[in-house]
Amino acid sequence: MRRTITVASLVVLALCVALTVFLGTRRPVGDATTVQSPLLGKFAPSVEGTELDGGHFDLRDDRGDIVVVDFWASWCGPCVAEAPNLSSFAWRERHDKVKVIGVVFDDSVSAARAFQTHYGSLYPSIVDPNGDIANSYGVTSPPTTFIVDGQGRVAATLLGPASTAQLVGAVNRVRR
Amino acid sequence: MTLIWIGRVALVVALGALVGGVVDQAVALRHRRAGHALWFALGALVGILGAVAAMEVALVTHNFSLAYVAANNATFTPLLYSITGMWSALEGSLLLWSLLLTLVTLFVIYYYRREASDPVVAWASAVLFGVGAFFTYLLVVPASPFVHNPAHVLQGAGPNALLQNNPLVAVHPPLLYAGFVGFTVPFAFAIAMLVTGRVQDRWQLEQRRWTVLAWGALSLGIVLGAWWSYQVLGWGGFWGWDPVENAALLPWLTATAYIHSVIVQDRRGLFRVWNLSLAIATFSLTVLGTFFTRSGVLQSVHAFSSSTLGPLLIGFFFVCVGAGAGLLAWRGDRLRSAVGVDHPLSREGLFVANNVLFVGFAIVVLLGTVFPLLYQAVNGAQVTVGTPYFASIAAPLSVVLLALMAVAPLVSWRSADAGVLWGRLRTSAWFALALVVALVAFGVRRPTVLVAYFLAAGAAGAALRTLRGVLVAAHRRGRWTSALRAPSTGGMVVHLGIVILALGIVTSTSYTTRAEVTLAHGQSTVVSGQYVSFAGFHEVKDALETSTELVVSVGGDQLRPAVTTYNGRNGQTVGTPAIDSNLLRDVYVTFDAVGGNGATSGAQVQNGLPAGSVVLGVTVEPLLAWLWIGGLVVGLGSALSFLRRRYNEEAA
Repeated sequence: MRRTITVASLVVLALCVALTVFLGTRRPVGDATTVQSPLLGKFAPSVEGTELDGGHFDLRDDRGDIVVVDFWASWCGPCVAEAPNLSSFAWRERHDKVKVIGVVFDDSVSAARAFQTHYGSLYPSIVDPNGDIANSYGVTSPPTTFIVDGQGRVAATLLGPASTAQLVGAVNRVRR
Repeated sequence: MTLIWIGRVALVVALGALVGGVVDQAVALRHRRAGHALWFALGALVGILGAVAAMEVALVTHNFSLAYVAANNATFTPLLYSITGMWSALEGSLLLWSLLLTLVTLFVIYYYRREASDPVVAWASAVLFGVGAFFTYLLVVPASPFVHNPAHVLQGAGPNALLQNNPLVAVHPPLLYAGFVGFTVPFAFAIAMLVTGRVQDRWQLEQRRWTVLAWGALSLGIVLGAWWSYQVLGWGGFWGWDPVENAALLPWLTATAYIHSVIVQDRRGLFRVWNLSLAIATFSLTVLGTFFTRSGVLQSVHAFSSSTLGPLLIGFFFVCVGAGAGLLAWRGDRLRSAVGVDHPLSREGLFVANNVLFVGFAIVVLLGTVFPLLYQAVNGAQVTVGTPYFASIAAPLSVVLLALMAVAPLVSWRSADAGVLWGRLRTSAWFALALVVALVAFGVRRPTVLVAYFLAAGAAGAALRTLRGVLVAAHRRGRWTSALRAPSTGGMVVHLGIVILALGIVTSTSYTTRAEVTLAHGQSTVVSGQYVSFAGFHEVKDALETSTELVVSVGGDQLRPAVTTYNGRNGQTVGTPAIDSNLLRDVYVTFDAVGGNGATSGAQVQNGLPAGSVVLGVTVEPLLAWLWIGGLVVGLGSALSFLRRRYNEEAA
């Protein structure tokens, strides 16, 4: 009896195992994309305000550190995806002269506070009541992330939910 | 909160019914009696319907305590887009998928209720329940649509801007999913036939009906999706070989091969095992496509959020292919038929060519889709496989397929007699030649267009000749209506639809002209023979959107291309093209830029342009409307093919 079908099926099965293993081990691509912003290379506009927890933040106090400024809102789906990444990034880099600051965008303080508590955010966020900070950065949609280097210049802009790896990569490029 | 619990409980009920269905069928098979499939299917449907109702009530009443509603709805979202909001993100799409799958399961089990004790039906029901249980499990645990939103928001994010400005979003996804889901039925029966070893039974031929139904829904879904992207995305195109589009195309290609090769099994008893493989491949490809679109491993213009479902979906893909290939390896050689194809140029020989082409096409598309991942794994660099790769293969394949469509319906079974074939081919061949001569006389010189028209005329001729035969036979019997349900009517109508669609694609892509024109208020110009004038701005501002429309007239018809900022989610700004369409040509106008202080309009500001002037993108595409007409004819043909006479009716 000819065995062609058996052999062919086993070959297909082997190919399928290879394909499954290959695809199953792929990591999702980060959703954030690096975008060109007119701010790149310019001095970062002021980021100053009251933190959700009551403290005071001023970007100028952190000159010499790399500051990751992330605009977010509690109603924004991708921000939900991004929040844990930002937290783990902030925790990982906390001793390496990197600071993460969130800026609450177009949101109520109570909703933002609930979001911060719910996702256990490990970085402070300031309130931007009139959207002045967002306007000066030209932010139209959260999450948008700006990397500000030690000299206080905008070094990179990420649009969309950033992964931890993307943030680490962006910060390492600034360090070089 | 109540709705969340209703939804969750309903989903658990559905999952319980589906798992119960599998167990019930297993017990029934063991004791060689009929199970209670109908009741379990009904229970599953009730559960899923409950969940869908809970979700829709939450969406329509803007209940933002559901995280899904807060992310995909806003208080000012119109009713239609609140309803369609169910499938504007991952979890809700899966809910729609499960709803359609349970409906199909119930329908199939009801349809075969008198044969419930047949082991083939029992096995198929068990597979249907199993697949349903998998997708419902995704909804219960890893991708639950019923998640509480702890933040007390008064306003939701609203649907994605691109999903709330065209009503096609109400029909395109459900049709596409109906197609995907429909392929579960031939898959379930293929597994059942392999397990029971009853490949030569009529079950295989029965499956063609279900496949045709799913195929028709998928075809319409794909064409409507192309139509949607043409009307909404503003680049004037309708197909971009994006991974998400490929995900829908892959099962379509193998299903097309299957629909054709089952005819050979019907007439000659050949290709039994091959047909089973195609049914299994088609369903597995829908699962693989879902993996591509939902796992986030591929970069796609369709901004689907990446989810954690990747490993589960790829695992399920493996289970499906593994089960199919394993059963084929175990049983395949014993089930194959003893006879072969008599002559390579007989009808069955040409069906083999058809299958080779479609399956080859599918492999090429699959490779192109996965290649960026392979390349990245080897070289670490990112590449994009774009239109040039796919088009360079799709174009020659389409030419050969058109040629096959012109010849194959006229060739006899078993033998190839050149004289007989020429007798049948003669009229359409001369007509096609005359058409080409006429086109050349009118100044058409492009060889690709001339070849396409020649072959398309031949293909249409072959289809019309077959249809005429059907009509003559019906006339002789004195019942015109019987022609509608004749075996080849639906298929040949589909062929005609494909011909129309192909001519639309070839002509519009070959003779597209694009221009960017700058017009001040009151100015006009001529673009590719179209008189275009700009009469001013029109501002629209309401709860839903802030929009700047341009009042443009094209040959007397008023068009309003716009740039719109939707309230809610990130204040997304999208351009909305305006299209003046008739049977001869489409004029596609986009609002590209505005001069001076145009910040209020949301459009891109172009430096050096005086205030009040605008830049319009004008694209003229001849015969484009025929693409959609062809798609509708394909849908009509598949409906006729679904309603065709049963095989056992034919003998009578």
